Amino acid sequence: MIPLAIDWHDLLQKSVIGFNRYVIYYFITLNSVYLLLFLVSLMEVVRFVRRTFFSDYQQILKSEMTLPISIVVPAHNEERGIVDTVRSLLQLNYGEFEVLVVNDGSKDGTLEQLVRAFNLRTTDRIYRRTLPTQKVRGIYASLEVPNLTVVDKEQGGKSDALNAGINLSRYPLFCSVDADSVIEENALLRVVKPFMEHPEEMVAVGGIVRIINGCEVRDGRVVKIGLPRRVLPVFQVVEYLRAFLSGRIGWSVLRSLLIISGAFGLYKKSEVIAVGGYDSNTDTEDLELVVKLHEGLKKRKVKYRIVFVPDPVCWTEVPEKFKTLLMQRNRWHRGLLQSFRLHWRMLLNPKYGVIGTLALPYFLLFEMLGPFVEVLGYLSVILAWLLGILNMEFFLLFLLVAVFYGVFLSIAAVLLEEISFRRYPAWEDLARLIWYAIWENLGYRQLLALFKVKAFFDFIRRRRRWGEMGHRGFRPAAAVPGQH
Amino acid sequence: MSEVLIQVLWVLGGVLVLLSLYIIANKALREMREKRAARIRRDLEPRILEYINGKGERLAALLPPPKGMERQVVEEVLLDNARFLKGNSRARITAACEDLGYVRERVRQLRNPRWWKRAEAAEKLAAMKSPKSAQDIIALMRDEVPEVRMRAARALGQMETRTSIKPLIEAFQDPNRWSALRIADILSGMGPEAADELVESFATLPIKARVAAVDCLGRVRSHRAAGLLIKLLSDPDRDIRARAAHSLGLIGDPNFTPDLLRSVKDPAWPVRAMAAKALGKLGRPEAVEPLREALKDREWWVRINAAEGLRSMGERGLAALVGAIEAEDRYARHAAVATLEGAGVLDQYVEKLASPDEREREKALAFIRKIVAAERTDHLMQTAARHAQEKVREQLSRILAPGEVKA
Repeated sequence: MIPLAIDWHDLLQKSVIGFNRYVIYYFITLNSVYLLLFLVSLMEVVRFVRRTFFSDYQQILKSEMTLPISIVVPAHNEERGIVDTVRSLLQLNYGEFEVLVVNDGSKDGTLEQLVRAFNLRTTDRIYRRTLPTQKVRGIYASLEVPNLTVVDKEQGGKSDALNAGINLSRYPLFCSVDADSVIEENALLRVVKPFMEHPEEMVAVGGIVRIINGCEVRDGRVVKIGLPRRVLPVFQVVEYLRAFLSGRIGWSVLRSLLIISGAFGLYKKSEVIAVGGYDSNTDTEDLELVVKLHEGLKKRKVKYRIVFVPDPVCWTEVPEKFKTLLMQRNRWHRGLLQSFRLHWRMLLNPKYGVIGTLALPYFLLFEMLGPFVEVLGYLSVILAWLLGILNMEFFLLFLLVAVFYGVFLSIAAVLLEEISFRRYPAWEDLARLIWYAIWENLGYRQLLALFKVKAFFDFIRRRRRWGEMGHRGFRPAAAVPGQH
Repeated sequence: MSEVLIQVLWVLGGVLVLLSLYIIANKALREMREKRAARIRRDLEPRILEYINGKGERLAALLPPPKGMERQVVEEVLLDNARFLKGNSRARITAACEDLGYVRERVRQLRNPRWWKRAEAAEKLAAMKSPKSAQDIIALMRDEVPEVRMRAARALGQMETRTSIKPLIEAFQDPNRWSALRIADILSGMGPEAADELVESFATLPIKARVAAVDCLGRVRSHRAAGLLIKLLSDPDRDIRARAAHSLGLIGDPNFTPDLLRSVKDPAWPVRAMAAKALGKLGRPEAVEPLREALKDREWWVRINAAEGLRSMGERGLAALVGAIEAEDRYARHAAVATLEGAGVLDQYVEKLASPDEREREKALAFIRKIVAAERTDHLMQTAARHAQEKVREQLSRILAPGEVKA
């Protein structure tokens, strides 16, 4: 008889060594993908800058054939800044557009502030209720500002508010804008250009989101750009540069863009209605909408484009505290997991083209499993050390390579910024960007991986907490109505 | 394995240092260049402006022969001013560009293998407006890169000569829709002469370009295009019919009314919507009744355009809208109420509720009852709650009370 004694120590050692080997292969694959994305983005940025040199923005502005746009602003308890936001939107440099503010059951004075500031009055406006929403309590128009409409409705969440805005919008394109963001004066002209170039095929266009912390804002406009003083927001500046300039540009070129930020995106209304509008069942309505659009359009075998353009800018405030950052990232990652659960049938399905065979596998392998591999990797190193099988020299060298590679990707994103848009003109800001691109890899990125692991367990437990974002507000106190 | 990692580390470290140095050096060089250019501009600009304003015969006589960066700066100053000047000053800039060899230099650049260099040359030649470059720019309209063709088209548009119209119309064949739209914009800016050429060449244009061309004809507002536009109201393509109706509205001749009255019954709703809008612009009384009928259309855009059309016709149109609030058709009633509200008519009647004249008050009451019966009362309810005069609030509340209207 063969004895069944198991050498647990040996088994554990082999498992740890096997897992560590897997981590190395994973690391090489992931970073090769990142490098590829960076190279694709670099080529696209150079091409984009050359094309933008010959921009036709003045012609787009003056042309009678420029497509009119409905700007939809969902607002919930935004009394502090809503009037400034609307004023800044009304001043946008664009031909024909309307601003539709949807007051989503605010408990504060959001509606009253708007009524007072723009001399609003109720109107019996006729509209088609194409998308189901919570009850609309009233529609308000202004005699002074003919292109402003305010919709007051019962609370139904951001998706519901956006759907109500779509129902009331008059134009074939709508632009979703967050009530606490600032859109640059020429952003609409820039974001509409892909629609002008390919009106039949273009379905959605996303613009870049930049961080407003540290900038000077006057009358709802960014008048001086600067880096934030605090450490956490600067880390996010570097992270956003990487995500937008070497992430989304690359995915857009590969025709696999899955995310258009809810803070600023332009959509063809008819296509959004065709897929049932925004979905309230996920925590990130922006991601879910884009995935739904891909799914719907691929099913219908329609030739379409969903693209990212890096020069229309939306400025937004980011968390300055770890707790708030945790809540934000938790929601983002939960949203990703929820959308994946809803559309898993697209995974590896050639019917969905590059979305099914490239983008979704990437999101599954690297965005969803990546944080687990990273955290388990750290744990397995500790375990290997306890078991006495850790090759300290190899571990330290590997760690250094990982950190150096991360720094390379962050500095590469700064390079993309520097050769293209150069939004941070001060030498001090450039030096700080490079400095923080190094430091971001020593703690911040690891922390984000932990946040994502936590989000996974929250997703399993079906937790759907939004939490307060605790905005400090970028508007000067004097400009806030009703504040003394 | 460790040795491989050490080598990878050295490579990565080297790349990082190089990248950082490149970023810093790139910024430093750019700023130095900008500062130098600004200094040169400060020195040379006053003399260039003096020349533009009439001093001397030749700019070359006022400046030392410009070389290197100075040459670039002189060209930049001339072209910056060319963009907003007209008349003699503008002609002097063209002369200076020819005299200093900028035109020759940029014409040579039109043959550069890099597309953005060719586009840049076309852009600059457009601002220089030298007739000497016209033939080379016309040749560039056959460039393989759409962006270059577009710059060439813009340059031709700025030349404002009859020779440039024909190649622009030929460029309508370009399959890129954005190009077609931009060419339409350029042609529209060239006035009636462009419209005449466009009418002549219309039959040769592809379908997609025809839509843009029809728009262009409307925007030029040339009467000479009216015959073609009226004929196009019967075109098999619904987009062309719709744009033709719109363009006729832009030209604005009331004699188009009978043709547009036929289009307001077109089977395609975009044509009906555009015809309704155009009829509103023409403002003829015989259009009132058909527009009132169009308020019942099953398409929202047609109803809204018909209501807006009636509103823009003044008293007659508003009277028709008042009549429509009693229409059997619910859509027609709602479109009429919304438009009257927007025009401020409803508020005028509400104010009359406080009038000392009893007949005025009765008239206002009757009108408001009709609005209530039309089932669009959001605005009235809000006014009943907020109006400054108690008397008005009371009367409105009474009318809005359930059962009041039927009783």
